[in-house]
Order: sequence, then structure tokens, then C-alpha cells
Amino acid sequence: MSLSREIQDLSQALLTSRSGKTGLIILAIVLGISLFAAIYVPFDVVAKWNEPTFWQKNPRTVAPEWGTFFINKNLPPTLDVAPDDFNKNEYFVTASSLKYVTLEALITYNYDDFPSELAAIVYATYAEQRPLVTITLERPDGLKAVLYRDILRSPVNYLYLSSDRDIRDNVKSFLLTLGVDTTRTIYPELSLFAVKNDDMVDTRKASVLKGFYRIRIDVIAAAEADTADAEFLLYGQVYGLAGTDSNRRDLFIGLVWGAPVALAFGLSAAIVTSIIQSLLGAISAWYGGLVDEVIQRVTETYMILPFLPFIIMISIVFRVDIWFLVVIIVALSLFGGVTKTARSVTFQIMNEQYIEAAESYGASRRRILFLYIMPRLLPYIVANIVLAVPAYVFLEAALSVLGLGDPMVPTWGKMISDAYVGGAAVHGFWWWILLPAVLIMVTASAFAFIGYALDKVVNPRLRER
Amino acid sequence: MKKYLAKRVVYLSLTLVLSIYIAIIIANAGGMIDDILSAQIKYDITTNLARSPGWAQLPEEEKLRLIEERFTSAIHAKGLDKPFLERTFIYLWDALTLNLGRSLFITSASGTKQISVIILERLPRTVLLFTTGTIAYSIVGLVIGLRMARSPGSLFDRVTTFFAIVTQTIPPWFFGIIFILLFAYQLRLVPFGGMVSVPPPSDPFNYALDILFHMALPLFTWIFSIFGSWAYITRNLTMQSSEEDFVTVARAKGLSENLIMRRYVLRPSLPPIVTSVSLSLIASWQGAIITETVFGWPGLGRLYYQAISILDAPVIIGLTVVYAYLLVITIFILDLVYGFLDPRIRVEMG
Repeated sequence: MSLSREIQDLSQALLTSRSGKTGLIILAIVLGISLFAAIYVPFDVVAKWNEPTFWQKNPRTVAPEWGTFFINKNLPPTLDVAPDDFNKNEYFVTASSLKYVTLEALITYNYDDFPSELAAIVYATYAEQRPLVTITLERPDGLKAVLYRDILRSPVNYLYLSSDRDIRDNVKSFLLTLGVDTTRTIYPELSLFAVKNDDMVDTRKASVLKGFYRIRIDVIAAAEADTADAEFLLYGQVYGLAGTDSNRRDLFIGLVWGAPVALAFGLSAAIVTSIIQSLLGAISAWYGGLVDEVIQRVTETYMILPFLPFIIMISIVFRVDIWFLVVIIVALSLFGGVTKTARSVTFQIMNEQYIEAAESYGASRRRILFLYIMPRLLPYIVANIVLAVPAYVFLEAALSVLGLGDPMVPTWGKMISDAYVGGAAVHGFWWWILLPAVLIMVTASAFAFIGYALDKVVNPRLRER
Repeated sequence: MKKYLAKRVVYLSLTLVLSIYIAIIIANAGGMIDDILSAQIKYDITTNLARSPGWAQLPEEEKLRLIEERFTSAIHAKGLDKPFLERTFIYLWDALTLNLGRSLFITSASGTKQISVIILERLPRTVLLFTTGTIAYSIVGLVIGLRMARSPGSLFDRVTTFFAIVTQTIPPWFFGIIFILLFAYQLRLVPFGGMVSVPPPSDPFNYALDILFHMALPLFTWIFSIFGSWAYITRNLTMQSSEEDFVTVARAKGLSENLIMRRYVLRPSLPPIVTSVSLSLIASWQGAIITETVFGWPGLGRLYYQAISILDAPVIIGLTVVYAYLLVITIFILDLVYGFLDPRIRVEMG
């Protein structure tokens, strides 16, 4: 009976105060993101978070698509010319016993900036002899550049056209035929898509040649049963809703999955420590005597212990995952500030008449503790939980920044630390730091606002007149 | 009063001993660091001997015997041959008598492994940054908090309260990262981190200026992230005491608002404020592990982290012991001060 009244008080405080409402709305949004993550982003994507090959079709460290809004420039997204997009022509010449496969595709390129990288993937099946592959790019101005001419190395050949030495040399000779100075470093993705003039090798001065590009892949295979397919990738300069990191990972997935991880981590650590601490505080006051003495001394001892160094220490020695971290936090926070508050509140409650009444009709000590005292402590426990959640979320982030976080789970703190280590600050990759930082701050503020509203119930003297 | 103080001394000493003992157990990871250490010693001895001339010609038993012999003497020299539990008590005694001993790996700038020297070398840097910062945010917070309490519900009060709520949950190092991004990388106003330029300026005046230049951002961050919640606490404390009857009486007497503030409102709220200030001052001497790491500030917090990351147990214990002592002594002094400040407690003590 008393319990439901306490809950009613709390929820009323939350719904009537502005800070409580603000906090609840933000929290509802974060919860919504968590649900969205759980339902729409399959977990096996998260399992692949640390698998580089899974992300190789994404551009490296590019801004989110809405980032173009601020610079008023039409930046290219990633253009993926899939195997089905190619026009396929194949025929077998019996005289030479050679099979010719021609793949052709048209790319419309009308963007204001260059692709960030180029790649071609050739999928081939062959019996004995490996096929010869030629990749040619025909530009809107009619110029043709041979990018690649070689024997395939494996059935699936991933050709990084932007970083491969041979391909750079091919592009270099293409530029030489145009009479362009080639003493600088050659960037294929730049020169191939630039208007033909002397600036087409200059990263700052080159201008984009817009129009239709034709990509042509010629395969000469040694047997009739051999097949060949291809995929062509023009990596963009923008990607998705949150951009990518230096491992080409879609940050949106990390951000979205960071929400349930942060909530689950923060809430579980906060709930368990707050309940244990307040229970011990109540026991301390209620049983008194030696029990009180011992619990108080141990609490003071605990409060002197340097909490953070010990957690860092244990994380280094045992290489903890995120759930083991919760266990450590709980073990190091069995006693603490809440024990003290709960004790003093219990002292006040103990003097009330209904406790005396319960004692007089013979209720057991334990029954009074759990059924008559603990419910009264509920507002304090709830307020403490709410105020403690952001602290634990930031604790996880802090450990990540020190390089001690869970290596497998994508957390907001981990993303910030990755960004920091990856030099996001130096290179101005703002989305990589700011998006997780904003999410963490907004989530923390939600709890702070709710805590502020609850605090007024717990400490009536704080109520504004 | 004497009896009360004597009781407090006994309790606080007990607390000190207990917490240092727990720190020793944890800093040694319950004996695990010993295993790591002795494995490393064995490895070093084996590789050293293997490099010595004529080693390959020795018979196999002779090799094993030599390794074993050197290993036992090295273990004995480091005191690792006694059981872990027994050694924890030796460590405890050393720690309590402030005999901090020598580090395993970390050396001071002057090249010694004496832990007291290492700590004393770092302490001034931490005090310079964090104690200055703590004093600054206490004053700023106090002034703003008093202004808030004077007109609760005003725009100023509400804006500052909002600011306090948002900043109190966000730790200083987090603001640090964002401010470094903004002020160091984007606006190029301040250095990215560290305490002095490389190489440091030679004449003392420029050296001091250089330190100030490097200190600006961490100091600003430290004050910015904490003064809000501190102002909010001050506001609530003073508002509580301004609701007391004696304040109403003073107002009824027609005393000036300034006098009421100073004599009737501020004075009873002083003890909790003094407690918070002194406890955060002590905490500031410990430095801030992550804030110092983010700013590359070579103080005690950074030392703590370095010691932890290479498992230099004696340094970890040394730092914890110094901190525990400072804290316990401060708590005791606070007990005394409380007795003088607040007559109600004086009566209770008697």
C-alpha cells in the first residue's frame, strides 16, 4: 500500500516538472533507438563490427550524407556498379579455343567532387588457365584509359585501383599521352575524373568532368566453361546517416547499437549498486549495535579506496568484457555514499508510529525491514539509480579512452576513443567524434534531468517556493 | 570532547589500515603480479645465460641447475620467496610507516627509482593545475551560487541550474576532448597537450609563460565542468538556511540584506561548504587520471595510470597510501573544525 503511494509520488513529480518531462522524452527517444537497433539492425552486423572484409564496400572516413547540406556542394555517394548492372557479351572462338567476355556499364557522374577511391572486383571461374583481364575507362570527352591488364591472381580479385602500384603506372602513362606533367603523386580517382588540362593531377585545382563514363572489362579465358563477372566501385565522399570510420565501418550501426549497450550497462550497474548500498544502510540503522559499527567502518574504508585506479588495474590484469566490468563495479561499490544516506533516512523512519505499531503486534525484525522500511527508501533508491547511470556510462567511455574497453562491443565511448586514436581531431573528421559525443551527452542529460525532478521529491526542502 | 576525539582517532586509524591493506591486495592483483614478475625474471635469466659464451657446450642438467640457482637468488633478492600473505603484512607495515620503497620500472626524471622522489617530482605539477582549478571553481561556484539563492526562480537561476544539471553528469575529461578538438585543432588557440613546449624555453620567465600557455585549456576545462554543480550545491545550502526562523526574525528587525546574507545565511551553511571544498582539494592532489591523460599533463594522475598500465605495484600502493593518509588526516581536521564552527556538534561531542 505504502509502496504504490511512493511510486505515485515519484511518477507525479516526473510528469509535472518540466525537467522531468524533458528527461523522460529524451529517454524515450534513446529507448526508441535501442528498440530500433534490436529490431531493424541485425545483431550479426554487430558481430561483424571487427571484421574488416565485411565493410570493404564502404568508403573510408567520409562524412554523413546530410553533411553536404552545410557546404552547398553535391558530394558523390558511393556508386556501386553491381554484376547485374553490366551488359554482358560472351562468345567462344573454336579456332583459338579462347572465350571472350565483354562487360560494359555506364556510370552517370554529375557530382561536384571526385570519388574518394576506385575499386574493381572480378569474379571468375576457370578450369586451369587463369584468364586475362583488361579494364578500360572511357570518359565523357572520349578519352580512354586502360587501368588494368593482367592475368587474374585468384577467382575473386579485389583490385584497389587507387592504391595499386601497377594501376597508378597505367594511369601515369595515360596522362603522359595527354602531355600532362606526371612528376607529382598520381591519384587515379582524381585524374581519371578531371577535366583534361594541366591541373588534372593537382588535388586542389583539378575540376570534375561531369557526364557519362563507360567502364569496359574484357576477359579472355582459356576454356568455354569459364565465366567472368565484375563489380565496379566508385567510393563516395559521403555515406549514410552517420558517415564511416577509418575501418570503413558504418558509424550509424555503431551509434544505434551504442544506445542499448549504454542503457543496459549504466542501468544494471546503477540498479545493483544502489539497491545493495541502501539495503546495507537500512540494515546498519535498523539492527544497530555491532552490525552498525562494522558496516559504518567498512563504508568509510570503501570510500577511501581509489575506485577508478582499481577498476583500471583489474581491467588491465584480467582484460574484462563489458559484463564482467559490471561485476567489478558492483564488487567495488558494495558500500558507499548511498549507505550513509540510507542509514540516516532509516533513522528518521524508525521513529515513526507505524513501525512502533508493527513492533507491538509482533512483526519480526526482518519483516519490518523489508516490508515497512525498504519501501519508504524507494524514492531515494530510484533517485540514486537515475543519477548514477550517466556516471557509469561515462566510466565505460573513460576505460575505452584508456584503451581498456570491451574490444568486441561497439560502444559510444569506444567510438570516441577510436576517433581520438585515429586522428579525427587532426584531420577534422568531426562526425566521428561529435556524433557519439552528442549521443552520450544527451543520454546523460536525460538522466540528470529526471534525477533533478526526483531530487525534489526526495529532498522536499529543495522545492522552489 | 577528548573521549570523542580519541574514538575518532581509533576509528580513522582502523579505516586507514583496512583501506591500505585492501589496496595492497588489489594492487598486487591478489598475488597475480608475483607470478608475472617471477616468470619475467626466469625469462630474463634464461635469455641472459643463453647469450653467455660456452653455454651451448654445457650439459642439459648443468644448464637447468644454473638457471634454477640464479632464479632462486633473484627471487630471494626481490623477497618473492616468502608466501604472498606474509608479504602483504610486510608491505602493510612499510606503507603505514611511509617507507614507500623503490619502484619496479618507473624512474623519476633524475633517474632514481625511489618512489617518494618520483611522487614529489609529480606532485607540484598536479597541485599547480588541479588545486588552482579546484580553488577557482569553488570561488566562482560560491559567488554564483549565492547570487542564485538571492533570487530563486529568476532567469539567471534557471539558466544556471540548467547548466549545472547538464555539466554535473559530464566528466571533465569528456569536455577536455571536445575543447581540444575545438580550441586546439580548429581554432589553433592553445597547444594540443603537454606541460611545456619541446624543447622547453631556457630562461625562467619564458618557461613560466610556456607552462601557463599549456595550462590554460585544462584549467578552463576543469573549472567549466565543475563550477556549475558547485554553484547549485551552494544555492541549495544557502536557500535551506535562509528559510530558518532566525533569518525571518533578522529580516523583521530590518537588517540589511547583505548583513543577513553574511551573518545569518552564510554562516550556518559554511560547515558543509568547508567540508566539500577541503575534500575536493584533497581529491585534487590525487590528480585526475583520465583528464591528465587526455591533456598529456605529466602529474600524479598520469603517474597512476603509467604505474597501473605496466603493473608497477609499489608505485600504485605508494600513491594510494599517500592519498589515504591525506584523506584521513583531512577528515580528522574537519571533525575538529566542525566542533568549533557548529555549536550543535560541540554539544554532541561533549
